Amino acid sequence: MNGLGVNTRGVLFLGLRYLQRNRAKTLLLVAAFTLVWLLPAGIGLIVAKVESQLRARAEGTPLLLGQAGSPLELVFNGIYFTKPQVATLPLRDVDAVAETGLADVIPIYARYSAGGHRIVGTTLDYFDFRQLEVAAGRNLLRLGECVVGASVAEKNGLKAGDAVISTPETLFDLAGVYPLKMTVVGVLAPSGSPDDEAIFVDLKTAWIIEGLGHGHDEAEDLGEDEKIAPTAPGDTAVRLNASVLEYNEITPDNAERFHFHGDVSDYPVTAAIILPPDARNQALIKGRYTKAGGLQIITPAAEMDELFATVFSVQRFVLALLLAIGIATIAIGALVFLLSYRLREDEFRHLRHLGADLATLRALVAFEAGFVILASLIASGVGLALIHTIAPVIIREMMG
Amino acid sequence: MMIKCENLRFTYPAESFQLAIETFSVEKGGSVALIGPSGCGKTTLMNLVSGILTPQGGQVIVNGVVVNELPMAARQRFRLGTIGLVPQNFELLDYLTIRENILVPCRVSSQLRLTGEIESRCGDLAERAGIAAHLDKFPRQLSQGERQRAALCRGLVTSPPLLLADEPTGNLDPENQDKIVSLLLGEAARIGASVLMITHDPVLLPRFDRVVEVMKLRQKGGAA
Repeated sequence: MNGLGVNTRGVLFLGLRYLQRNRAKTLLLVAAFTLVWLLPAGIGLIVAKVESQLRARAEGTPLLLGQAGSPLELVFNGIYFTKPQVATLPLRDVDAVAETGLADVIPIYARYSAGGHRIVGTTLDYFDFRQLEVAAGRNLLRLGECVVGASVAEKNGLKAGDAVISTPETLFDLAGVYPLKMTVVGVLAPSGSPDDEAIFVDLKTAWIIEGLGHGHDEAEDLGEDEKIAPTAPGDTAVRLNASVLEYNEITPDNAERFHFHGDVSDYPVTAAIILPPDARNQALIKGRYTKAGGLQIITPAAEMDELFATVFSVQRFVLALLLAIGIATIAIGALVFLLSYRLREDEFRHLRHLGADLATLRALVAFEAGFVILASLIASGVGLALIHTIAPVIIREMMG
Repeated sequence: MMIKCENLRFTYPAESFQLAIETFSVEKGGSVALIGPSGCGKTTLMNLVSGILTPQGGQVIVNGVVVNELPMAARQRFRLGTIGLVPQNFELLDYLTIRENILVPCRVSSQLRLTGEIESRCGDLAERAGIAAHLDKFPRQLSQGERQRAALCRGLVTSPPLLLADEPTGNLDPENQDKIVSLLLGEAARIGASVLMITHDPVLLPRFDRVVEVMKLRQKGGAA
């Protein structure tokens, strides 16, 4: 009982029985109201999460150098390791920035992947810059080694001493690049950033994956059937034919036989992180590359501002639509309740004849409506918790 | 007296129907059948006795309480504690089982507690009414006669001193009519309750202590 003389337990019993016996209607109403609460809140949550993740990383990266093109693609490749098809620039251009003495430069080559995780070719400076710590094992020392992010290790059960094989990019191209088996020498501590999802290798290892460097038996040790005959009298160059097997793993035994053809400074990187020591140098570098043809230097935080200005305007539009849909849904829900109570007029009249007072009947109606609203709020809360949990996956999918 | 009506006057708003009864009474423990043509005021009289309707004049005294002078909330509580209602159309809630329907007065009342004694009485009543096997079924799974017996059990479960039955046999075949009236009068006698029942069936009238024709009651305005 309560102060109003209402049999609370009886009201709960009757209300729950009614909702239970009309569970299809109840579930539909709960589902409809859940969507009304969940959609705007869920969209807001995802946008907020995307924004906080993207902004934090972008704001921690002063400048990015890349080939002229989409600044956003450069940001996504250079700091989130997505958009692998971004145009490359030669290492020479990266070195040129370093040679100005205005800033330190960290090259990034994020094009290939292994088991769905991006292989990031870089230098050891990257680990210092991002303050990444090796939780188990050691850092990169030799060609063919890799250090995996915490999530990569957890998802694939990797530890130091295990191996990772790069995913072939040209499966049906017989002349293409063979996958490279790399030894895991370290696992990074979790950082809550895209670094957790990446496999880090030395820049040269990344170029070997690309096929710009390779290893095979010494040419002078090979038989004549593995060589191409001289094309002209006096031609002393040794040319090997396709029967020579390339190594698909760099080991201490064959490491010395890996080599690069051509000028390494022509080799590609997808981006370079530029770390000017102060605002003055930052301004100077930006000024120089504003005019330089074929290259761009961007401020990731500014690109994020632009991106989110667009996202927020779209979000406002979507939320306005959802508000309209929500109002319509609430109105329809209210109509369902009203019609339902009209259909139940006889039932209520009879309960009154039996002796139920108005307060009891009002409590019954309030309980049933309140139950639906409360259940939908709880379901929304569960939905939001779920979105919160899977947000990193959603964000990764969104960023490609 | 269990029921005593004096100088009763009632008119429905915006209708020409008028009910004027000088005196009408039902003895404690007695059974009275109300008869008369449709529209003569049988149900109106019963609703005045139960306090569902309020007369414009006169008094309705039930079990010593002037019902029409009680505030509405008190009247509801009085009805729950004093009167067992058995309607013509059963009025069972389709989302409750038969057991839950029989016990529904305890769910809507702040004064009746659902005790083990009442639950036990529910089982006993259902046993005697021949619906014990159907207690966990829903109303739509029962026949008309079984539903009416369930409605009767609901009216009796709180052991009220007065039972008001509005044509409880109206929708039933003769066999079920007899069963219902036997059950109604038998259970009322068992708990010493008075019975006021509306019926159109002359076959059932000898089973009651008295038969009151509402038309005569109104025309004569005299005592019944």
